[in-house]
Amino acid sequence: MSEQIHLHVNGVDYPVTIAQERNLLSVIRGEIGLTGTKEGCDDCECGACMVLLDGQPVNSCSYLAVQAQDREITTVEGLADGQALGMLQRNLLEAGGVQCGFCTPGMLISATALLARTPEPSEEQVRIGLSGNLCRCTGYTKIVQAVQRAATELTAG
Amino acid sequence: MSVSTAPRFVRADGPDKVTGSGRYTADLTLTGALVAKFKYAGISHGRIARLDTSAAKAMPGVFAVLTQDDVPDVRFGPFVQDRTLFARDVVRFEGEVVAAVAAVDAATAQRAVDAIVVEYELLPVVNDVEAALTPDAPLVHPEWASYGAADALVRDRNDASFASIAKGDVQRGLAEAHTVVRSRYVADGCHAAPIEPRAVVAQWEGNKVTIWSSTQVPFDARSGVCETLELPNNRVRIIVPHLGGGFGGKCGFHYEAHVAALARATKRPVRLVFNRREEFVAPDRRREGIVYEFETGVAADGTITARRAKLLIDNGAYTADAGFFSQIAAMHALGPYRIPNARADAHLVYTNHQPSGSVRAPTAPQTCWALESHTDEVARAIGMDPVEFRRLNAVDTGGEGPSGQTYGEIGVQQCIAEATTGAGYGQPLPDDEAIGVAIGWWPSFSVPSGAYVKLDGDGSGQIITGAQECGTGAVMTLRQLAADELGMDAEAFELVYQDTSVAPYDMGATGSQTLFNNGRAVVAAAGQIAEQLRNLAAEQLEASPADIVLAEGRAHVAGTPDRGIAIAELAGIAAGGELLIGHGSGMPPGPPPLVGSSCVGDLGMAAWVAPQFSCHAVRVKLDRDTGVVRVLHVSAAHDSGTIINPVGAQGQVEGAVLMGIGQALTEGTTYDEQGRQRNAALLEYKLQTCADAPPIDIHFVQIDTPDAGPRGAKGLAEAPNVATAAAISNALAQLVGAPVRQLPMTAERVWDAMNQEAQP
Repeated sequence: MSEQIHLHVNGVDYPVTIAQERNLLSVIRGEIGLTGTKEGCDDCECGACMVLLDGQPVNSCSYLAVQAQDREITTVEGLADGQALGMLQRNLLEAGGVQCGFCTPGMLISATALLARTPEPSEEQVRIGLSGNLCRCTGYTKIVQAVQRAATELTAG
Repeated sequence: MSVSTAPRFVRADGPDKVTGSGRYTADLTLTGALVAKFKYAGISHGRIARLDTSAAKAMPGVFAVLTQDDVPDVRFGPFVQDRTLFARDVVRFEGEVVAAVAAVDAATAQRAVDAIVVEYELLPVVNDVEAALTPDAPLVHPEWASYGAADALVRDRNDASFASIAKGDVQRGLAEAHTVVRSRYVADGCHAAPIEPRAVVAQWEGNKVTIWSSTQVPFDARSGVCETLELPNNRVRIIVPHLGGGFGGKCGFHYEAHVAALARATKRPVRLVFNRREEFVAPDRRREGIVYEFETGVAADGTITARRAKLLIDNGAYTADAGFFSQIAAMHALGPYRIPNARADAHLVYTNHQPSGSVRAPTAPQTCWALESHTDEVARAIGMDPVEFRRLNAVDTGGEGPSGQTYGEIGVQQCIAEATTGAGYGQPLPDDEAIGVAIGWWPSFSVPSGAYVKLDGDGSGQIITGAQECGTGAVMTLRQLAADELGMDAEAFELVYQDTSVAPYDMGATGSQTLFNNGRAVVAAAGQIAEQLRNLAAEQLEASPADIVLAEGRAHVAGTPDRGIAIAELAGIAAGGELLIGHGSGMPPGPPPLVGSSCVGDLGMAAWVAPQFSCHAVRVKLDRDTGVVRVLHVSAAHDSGTIINPVGAQGQVEGAVLMGIGQALTEGTTYDEQGRQRNAALLEYKLQTCADAPPIDIHFVQIDTPDAGPRGAKGLAEAPNVATAAAISNALAQLVGAPVRQLPMTAERVWDAMNQEAQP
C-alpha cells in the first residue's frame, strides 16, 4: 500500500508517495535522486548506506522510509560547506583516505556523527567509531588519520 | 624534464567521491530502462531435463526472457573455450546463469525468474581437487578434448592446465641433503569482495550498443561482448563510471553480453545490479583454494639443495582466466630462492565450484603462506633462525632464481633487513606474542598500452587514456607524468578515461600494470607535444629547439630563464596552426631469458620482467584459551622500484596488508557437501574492520631496476598482498608450537592445532 510522506533531506522537504515497505535507502536514491548514499550489502554489514537521522548514523538499507518522516535526514550530499568541501571531506582527501570511494559517503557520515559526540577522540575511539563501515581499499590507516586531523582542526577553531 | 618529488597528491577524482556527486554504474538511470534479473542453477551439477520460460514470458510487465537458444552458440574463455553465456544442457556450479529476464521493475523481474521452470537430472558433484584427479572421478567436462584452447596448455580430463617448472636433478639434490623436510598445507578459496556489487547498463542505438559496466578491464569486457554476440569491436562501446573497487573480482568479462542481449531483445535500455549474495556466488573470480605438498632438502650449513612441490589448484567449473595459474603458482611454490635442483608440478583442477579467477596477485598469497610456513619448518629442523635462513638462501642481485632467470639489481635482501628492523625482530616479547617473517615476490606485467595527450588553446591539457582506475590512484598519477614531461603543473591536466571508444587499448586495472605500461604511453604522448612546444618556442625565441627547456609552465632558452614564453601562449599560437596532439604507446620490454630450466605448460609466467620483492614481519598475539589471534603490528618492506606517488603507494600497501590479514584469519569460503557456498554473505564471511586494523610501517626499497616502467617504477598494487598471511602463520607457529596447516587460520583451527586435532 502506498502513502504520501514528507522526508526532510539536507534541509529540503520532499513529498514522496511510496509503498510502506520501502527502505529509506531506495527512496533517497530512487525517488529523491540523491545517489551519493550507496548500497553495498542490504544487510547492515558494510555501512555504505549510512545517513544521519537527527544526527544519529543509521544504515538506511534497513530502515523504513516511513519511520524517517518528520526527522532531519543528512546524506553525504549535505556535508559540503556550500561550494567548498567540508572539513572532514577535505581532510579525507588530503590524507589519502579515498581510493575507490564507494565506502566514502558512509565513512564520512560515521565520522561526522563521531566528531559531533566526541570532539577530541582518541585513535581507539576513532577506530571503534568507524568499525561499522567496511573499506576494502585503504586498510583504514589514512581514514583514521584524516578524522584525527579534522578533530584537531575543529577543536583549534 | 623536471621531476616533482613532493609527497602531496590529491586525486583528480577525489572531490566527486567525497561529495557524493561521482556516479557509479548503479547510480545511472536511462529513460525507459528495464530491470534485469538472472535465473541461477542453484545446484552444482545437473543436466537440464526441462527448461520452460513460457509462464514467465506471459507475465505482464515482462519484456524478455532469454536462454542460450536466444544468443549465438559460441563457446568462449581466454584459455579454454569451455563456457557459454547461458547454461547449455548442463549446469556445473550453483551460480551459473540459466536464463535472464528483463521486466518493468525489480519485483516483476523476480516473479518472472521464479516462474521459470527448470528440471534437472542430477549429476555427481566434484567437490574436492584430490578426488577429481582419481581415475574414476566423474568429469566436469566430458567433452573437454573437443574444446578450443591455448596451444601451450597441457590438459587431461579434469586437469585443465598442468604446468611444471624444473631445474637440475631434484632426486640427487634430496639424496645429498643433510636434512629433508616434508609438509602439507591446504588453503581455502576466498573472495575479492569489493564493497560495490557489480552493475551493468546497456542501451542500443541502431546497430551499436553502449554498455556502462563496473569492470576493471573495459577492453576485455568489449572483447567478450564481441565474441559472444558476434559483433565487431567498433560497434560496442564500454564506458566505466566510477568503479567501487575490484581487487581482481571485476576483471574478465561478466554479464555485459547478457544485458546487451536483453536490451537488444526488448529495444529498451536494461539495467542489472547485483546484490551481495550474487556478488559472492556468481562471477568467475573466486580466489582459488589450493592443496600443497612440499619437500625441501638442506645441507648442514643451511643451504637449500633441492625442492619439490606439488599443487592442486581448484579451477572451479570453468577456466576463466585461471589458465595461467598453474605456472604462476609453481613459481610461488619454488619461491624467491636460490635452488640448484627444483621441480614444481601444478594442476588446475575442474570441480563443481564457482570458477576461480584473478584476485589480487592470483595464487600468490596462499602459496607464499604455504611455502613460507614450510620454510620456517625447514629452518627449525636444522636449528637455524628463520630470518638467517632466508638471508642465506634468498635470491640476490646477479643470482639465479628457480626458473633459471638471472636477476639484475633487486632488493630482497634490503627488504629482509628493513622489515625485520622495523618490527624489532629478535627483541624479547611477552610469551603470548611472536614475530613471524616471510618473503614474497610478484612480476611486473609488460604489455601493450596507449594514450593521447592534447593541449588546448588556453594551455589546459587532457590525457585521453585507455587505462582504468579502480581506486588505486594509478590513473590519477598519470597526470604527474605528463606534467613533468611538459614542465607543467599536474593540476593543468584533466583525465578522460574508462571509455573504449575514445581511447587506445589498455589491459585495464589488472596485473598492477597501469603505471608500468600506460605510464610509458603517456610519457611518449606528452613527449610528442614537448617536441612541438620546443619547436614553437624556438621560432618565437629565435633559438635552437635543442636549447629550449620546459619548466614551471614556461619554455625558455637553456641558461637564460628570462628569455622565455608561457606554454599557454604557445598553445594559443598552436591553436591557430598545427594543433598540440600527442599519441603514445612505446614498446613493452620483452621477457628475460631462462637458462638451464624446462617449463611444461609454459604461458610466459616463469620469466619475470622487473620483478618485485617484499618482506613482511608481523607481530601477533594469541589468546591461548580461545585460539583468537590479534595482529599487533606489521612491518612491510617492498622493492617495487621507484615510488612516484608516495601517498598512493602507501595506500596500496596498507590496503593489501589488511586484505592479507583477512585472508590469514577470517576469509575463507566453505562449501556444503554439494559444493555450494555456505558463507556467501558479509555476516558469515568477515572482512577486517577499522577496529581490527593494526599499525602498518612501510619501507620502500627503491632500486634502479633494469626494464622497469617510467622512472624505474615497477607494479605495486598486488605485491603487498603476497607475504602478510605467511608472516602471520610463522608468528603463530611459534606460539602454537606447530604450523596451522589450513588457511584461513581461524580461531577454531588455531585451537585445534594447539590441541593437535583435525589437521588436514
